[in-house]
Amino acid sequence: MEEKKLISIGAESVVYLYKDTVVKERLKKLYRIKQIDESIRKRRAKLEFSLMKRAFESGIRVPAPIKISDDGYKIYMGYLGEDRFKDNFSLKHMAELGEEVAKMHKLGIVHGDLTTANLMLKDNKLYLIDFGLGNYSNKDEDKATDIFLLRNALNTRHPKESEAAFKIFLKSYRLVYGKQFKGIETHLKDIESRRRYNESD
Amino acid sequence: MLVLGIESTAHTFGVGITDGKEIVANEKDTYKPKQGGIIPREAADHHYKFAPNIIKSALDKASVKLKDIDIFAFSQGPGIYSPLKVSFQISNFLSQKYKKKLIGVNHCIAHLEIARKETGFEDPVMLYVSGGNTQIITFAEGHYRVFGETQDIGVGNLLDKFGRVMGISFPAGPEIEKYASKGKRYIPLPYSIKGMDVSLSGIETFISNIKDKHSVEDLSFSLQETVFSMLIEASERALAYTEKESFVITGGVAANKRLNEMGRIMAESRGVKFKSIPMEYAGDNGAMIAYTGYLMKNEPEKDYLPKPVFRTDSVKINYR
Repeated sequence: MEEKKLISIGAESVVYLYKDTVVKERLKKLYRIKQIDESIRKRRAKLEFSLMKRAFESGIRVPAPIKISDDGYKIYMGYLGEDRFKDNFSLKHMAELGEEVAKMHKLGIVHGDLTTANLMLKDNKLYLIDFGLGNYSNKDEDKATDIFLLRNALNTRHPKESEAAFKIFLKSYRLVYGKQFKGIETHLKDIESRRRYNESD
Repeated sequence: MLVLGIESTAHTFGVGITDGKEIVANEKDTYKPKQGGIIPREAADHHYKFAPNIIKSALDKASVKLKDIDIFAFSQGPGIYSPLKVSFQISNFLSQKYKKKLIGVNHCIAHLEIARKETGFEDPVMLYVSGGNTQIITFAEGHYRVFGETQDIGVGNLLDKFGRVMGISFPAGPEIEKYASKGKRYIPLPYSIKGMDVSLSGIETFISNIKDKHSVEDLSFSLQETVFSMLIEASERALAYTEKESFVITGGVAANKRLNEMGRIMAESRGVKFKSIPMEYAGDNGAMIAYTGYLMKNEPEKDYLPKPVFRTDSVKINYR
């Protein structure tokens, strides 16, 4: 029997390498009742696989999707190594990130959990991973939420460089996304002001 | 050194006294609206009315006099302006009268500091759930940072709005908990989590549309299970992301046994320590303001004003 090599234990799933395939298995959460737990795990696995497939086929840098297991809780995908962007954070990848996210958004996909922990480095290129909270959406608001989450993650995880990083990201995003960025920008400001106790009000 | 802290951001007027090691007094009285939600003016009237007695009983408990107090701390915000200004006016007056230092304390940070003190956890992730606040907070690089929060209404507000729809009196949380324990059937409700943020207002709308088809027990059960699962899931993401080793739940909604049970199960499954906080210190209270004021004792003297809008992460933490 081949060994499973553990890659990561995330908040909701365990990711391991089996032969040359990455398996992401959504774990049972004992704190939630069975009805909620099972439906969420299956729904998310199915959706995540579908989003990855759509992105991959359009040339966006994501792991290569392979299949969903019969029980519905596991998805199989290609291996990208273990170099996480959050551990090797650098401003030089921010323009590239802006480009990938803009391409993904133009395709009608939102990631839902855009943090530096969900970005991998392979051959000096950034890959988007973990579409577990992603969705199909063409709403400017959802795209703005993605951008907002990234900014929040930069602020909390890389506070010293966050401002510069976000600037580079947004410049490149805007360039690739094109004219329609205006709508997203409006929603970005809107989300800011809706957040409770925002002091810029 | 003795610090007297006054809390008045919402329903509760509380006075606490600490020497920095022990909480020597923690007295309070809570305004209860006759029906519906909080009426700011009435809350403020309540606080003005009860202030003298609460302050006196706190001083008596601690066996001290006002002239023995070295620092007057008050809840500077966030909160509802009318009740909020009560703690400011009283503390400001006392600090001038006795020529002692005045310190304004962020209400959310005070919840976190008293949680750290009471649990003994050095650096926890905290889920703070009350009427108006739903935040997941932890310390990073000189600030308490909000990793996740509600994108619309606080969880306590959601429970109270559900209560109003179902004819349950304010505050609805304890009644909902009783009904939920008798609920058997799960009715699927919108489960909306974005990163570490949650969205709660969709559930309210959804329930309003289906309420006539189900029992209050089943609806209460489904509401609790759905909302608490979302909050615990967001907390778990914050724990995984920050790699912190302890977890606490605080705020008024922390009184809910099912929420605590879910928090404990999640923490244990991750090998993370979990403790709940005694209700005396989980709901709004003066002790947390006094204790945080004590921690901030070396802050330079300055002029304060109440801040209804006062973000947790805007405060530079100089004592950690």
